[in-house]
Amino acid sequence: MNTLHAHLVRLANQAGRSASLPTHSESHPGCFEDPTRSRLRALLAQRHHAACEDLPGVAIAPGLQFVETTDTVLLNGTAIASGRLAVDPIRCSQLVFLDTETTGLAGGTGTKAFIVGVAMLTPPQIRIRQWLLTRMAAEGALLQSVAEALPPNPVLVTYNGKSYDLPLLRTRYRMNRLPEPFGDAQHLDLLHPVRRRYRNVWPNCRLTTAETRLLGTVRVGDLPGSEAPAAWRRFLATGESDGVRRVLLHNAQDLTSLARVLFALNAVG
Amino acid sequence: MPAMDRFASAETPSPAWAMTRWIKQIKARYEDRITGHLVLAARSGEYAEIPGSLPAGLRTALAARGIRQLYVHQRQAWDAATAGRHVIIATPTASGKTLCYNLPVMDAALRDQAKALYLFPTKALAQDQLAELLALNQAGDLGVRAATFDGDTPSDMRTAVRLGGDIVVSNPDMLHQGMLPHHTKWARLFESLRYVVIDEVHSYRGIFGSHLANVLRRLKRICAFYGSDPIFILCSATIGNPRQHAEALIGAPVEAITASGAPQGERHMLLWNPPVVNSELGIRASARSQVTRLARMAIRARLKTLVFAPSRLMVEVLTKYLKDVFDPDPRKPARIHAYRGGYLPLTRRATEQAMRAGCLDGIVSTSALELGVDIGALDVALLCGYPGSIAGCWQRLGRAGRRQQPSLGILVASSQPLDQYVVQHPDFFTSASPEHARIAPDQPLILLDHIRCAAFELPFVAGERFGELDASDYLAVLAEAGILHAEEGRYDWIADSYPAQAVNLRSVADGNFVVIDRTEGKRVVLAEVDYGSAALTLYEGAIYMVQSQPFQVEELDWTGRKAYVTRTHADYYTDAIDYTKLKVLARFGGSKAGHGSCYHGEVHVVRHVAGYKKIRYYSHENIGYGPVNLPDQDLHTTAVWWQLSREVLLAHFADSAAALDAFQGASHAMHTVATLVMMAEARDLVRTIADGQASDAPGGDVAGGPGIRDESGSTSEPALQTFMPSLYLYDPYPGGMGLSEPLFQRQRELITRARALVEDCTCAEGCPSCVGPVIGDPREPGRSRKAQALCILGLLAAP
Repeated sequence: MNTLHAHLVRLANQAGRSASLPTHSESHPGCFEDPTRSRLRALLAQRHHAACEDLPGVAIAPGLQFVETTDTVLLNGTAIASGRLAVDPIRCSQLVFLDTETTGLAGGTGTKAFIVGVAMLTPPQIRIRQWLLTRMAAEGALLQSVAEALPPNPVLVTYNGKSYDLPLLRTRYRMNRLPEPFGDAQHLDLLHPVRRRYRNVWPNCRLTTAETRLLGTVRVGDLPGSEAPAAWRRFLATGESDGVRRVLLHNAQDLTSLARVLFALNAVG
Repeated sequence: MPAMDRFASAETPSPAWAMTRWIKQIKARYEDRITGHLVLAARSGEYAEIPGSLPAGLRTALAARGIRQLYVHQRQAWDAATAGRHVIIATPTASGKTLCYNLPVMDAALRDQAKALYLFPTKALAQDQLAELLALNQAGDLGVRAATFDGDTPSDMRTAVRLGGDIVVSNPDMLHQGMLPHHTKWARLFESLRYVVIDEVHSYRGIFGSHLANVLRRLKRICAFYGSDPIFILCSATIGNPRQHAEALIGAPVEAITASGAPQGERHMLLWNPPVVNSELGIRASARSQVTRLARMAIRARLKTLVFAPSRLMVEVLTKYLKDVFDPDPRKPARIHAYRGGYLPLTRRATEQAMRAGCLDGIVSTSALELGVDIGALDVALLCGYPGSIAGCWQRLGRAGRRQQPSLGILVASSQPLDQYVVQHPDFFTSASPEHARIAPDQPLILLDHIRCAAFELPFVAGERFGELDASDYLAVLAEAGILHAEEGRYDWIADSYPAQAVNLRSVADGNFVVIDRTEGKRVVLAEVDYGSAALTLYEGAIYMVQSQPFQVEELDWTGRKAYVTRTHADYYTDAIDYTKLKVLARFGGSKAGHGSCYHGEVHVVRHVAGYKKIRYYSHENIGYGPVNLPDQDLHTTAVWWQLSREVLLAHFADSAAALDAFQGASHAMHTVATLVMMAEARDLVRTIADGQASDAPGGDVAGGPGIRDESGSTSEPALQTFMPSLYLYDPYPGGMGLSEPLFQRQRELITRARALVEDCTCAEGCPSCVGPVIGDPREPGRSRKAQALCILGLLAAP
């Protein structure tokens, strides 16, 4: 094994490719070849189990953690009746705030969502549900749970979801041979109205910028979204769950902000 | 009438007599240089009925374009494809191959809304084909939606192509990097994919072909996921093994159609051997000088001329020579253009258009033009040197007279042995079967790259095969490297990257150097150079030429893969001097070879570029040297080698220098016949002489120029007691490309043929055609290089 690896690395270098095969810094369950393999497997399974115990929420299927939180959220108004946002009058109960955390930003069929967060409003309450993969194999279960959680005729609210989260989820449903639950649901991607209005006003149009400028809040101790993939890979490999817990918080915060930004935009007109 | 006839009225053909007269003239004037004149008579067509089941609209479209019957091979292709058999059509240039696939594809689109994917090796060819499809579509008002999808497709068009395209015209690179990794977006295409059309498959040999075979393994994997199982229709120029090559590419049985029913204009072919300028040394005038002269004469005779040069460097040199004559005034539009890989696409498109429009009188090109890029009517094709394969020869010569006019191709031999063999045996062209295209889809690095890409596209299940191959070792390596996540018998992609981006189908690995012009503070990318040739062409001090404009390399950033050049006015060009060391790592097999032995196995090659020569234009004198300081180039590859025991060598040779010289001579002949037998390009096989007992002696320090480069520079002279020269032939690619084993299997034949080559050569003491150039005073009879090399070959031959 190691010799094949070394051989391939050597050939790659000779062909002028230096950084193509990362040297292995993380060990992975399932690819040990030595005789103690089964024992190691058992230990890893135990460690994995313990790691999942550290996580918030409950395991609703093997490898799938479900986290539900309810919060009070201050909103600018009680309904959006806004022609200003270019949508039909919407009832709050239809609004589905959606945000994913993914294994990478590269796109394509190799990128997965390891957290899908969905939030719904019954003002002033916001109910946040999050599904977290603790094993690769649970992806199908995650996608099914998310599909079952959507209300009839949902209006999706995302931030850059039209070009990122939704296409990615659609790909995942297709890859798992599952029916895609979004159909032609109405979709409010808040990035677009924010861009239209503030492109020349703010330094950038990221969600955190919108929070600061529109809502006047600043996140403390937030894990940057760019570090999420590494945190999850670390969890899978070593069982270290701190990172993943922070990703869950980050995701929940994004969902709350989505709701508040929507109402703020609605109020600003 | 067949499709080709519609061109006839669109052009003003140069009269047949002009060509005939010119041929007569040069034949009279240069009788002693012309070793053969082949005439392929004009041929009338063989026709078949248009299939009765063809939809009426399609029939109308054909009629509107003047097609009332098919060539017989077009009908055969229809019969095979519509019966669900994979098929390859291997017929000459301009035999109407396009219709072979357009008919079944259009039929399926009209009848069943079935979809098709077309792959062409270049974007330019894809554009040509799309125009063809659209014309057919328009002629019958068929409503079939065809579109190209490549790097130039605007993003707002892409979705439309994905969702609505009946025929998607693309290239292997786009399928590899843009489509397969996003297959969910292409679900509609993959779900109802009926046909995959791959044209110009003869160009998918060696590395590119090995990559394509793996891209197709991935394509079939994705198709299986969507429940489709497409039929492959492949087209090729004439090659020796169309069926086998097609089967290797797609990994399934294929039916081959090789007889063309298309008519053809009269074709002349002259074999041209440059005159001997030094009869003792067997030195001939260079092919370059002869080609320059012929090109000037042809262009003056108002014949549109295409010159094929053997290397990018030679393209630039020849372009300069022709421009010096025909483009003396830079304010006028150029009559001569250079065309080669490494030029930016826009430059190439401009040259293609100018040639089609008839604005150019001459093009000097590398094999980049060999593919079916449409450049309009040409009268004369000049080949500067044998391109290394019969198929390549016909493919290039076929660029002249595509449209049923008399045409002329002249093969001008260089002093290379292969060339000399070919021009001195004119029957070679008529009797020998064309080359076999070879690929090595299981080359370890290429395989690793594509298994990685495949894992990104769909997870691997433990035990799943990739093509016919057990992928488990590779998956384990990728899991160990943290790229895949192994869990419950499944390998899932987990890295945050897009693997197809890092895999270039045209090389074993992607480490291209960019050449940046910083003359007068500019920063313009001039060209790209692949990793393997960077050390030989981009060392500091090198003259790098683009459109025959010399640029000097001022700085080479090896790690950053950049070479900075400035415009210069040098009257010389540069050529690298390099040395090779070789060490055997493992023997895979061995057998007796006469008094010696033959092995094949894995070797470690180290190539060192020591310096470079400055060579003056026209006179070709050597006007100086420069040093080169570059890291050595390492290479693990596979080789076949022959060696003789010390006792045998001591009994036959006076000293190590004599033995070494004899081995050099023998290796020359062996390389020639190995290239011929394997039907490989000369550059795909490298010969070298090195120490045969790496175990108890330091790695052989003996220089043997790789490939066609000749042994230049000095060689150390170890005592024969400690040094055991061995003759190596190896693949110059990391991991090898699978040539050494077939060579080993045919080692007896190689020795026999090499002996015959040297024995039958008319020279006295050895010449570039048999054992390589002989330098120095004539030796006593029996001690000539020729005699010595024959001694080695005799010792290695079976009794």
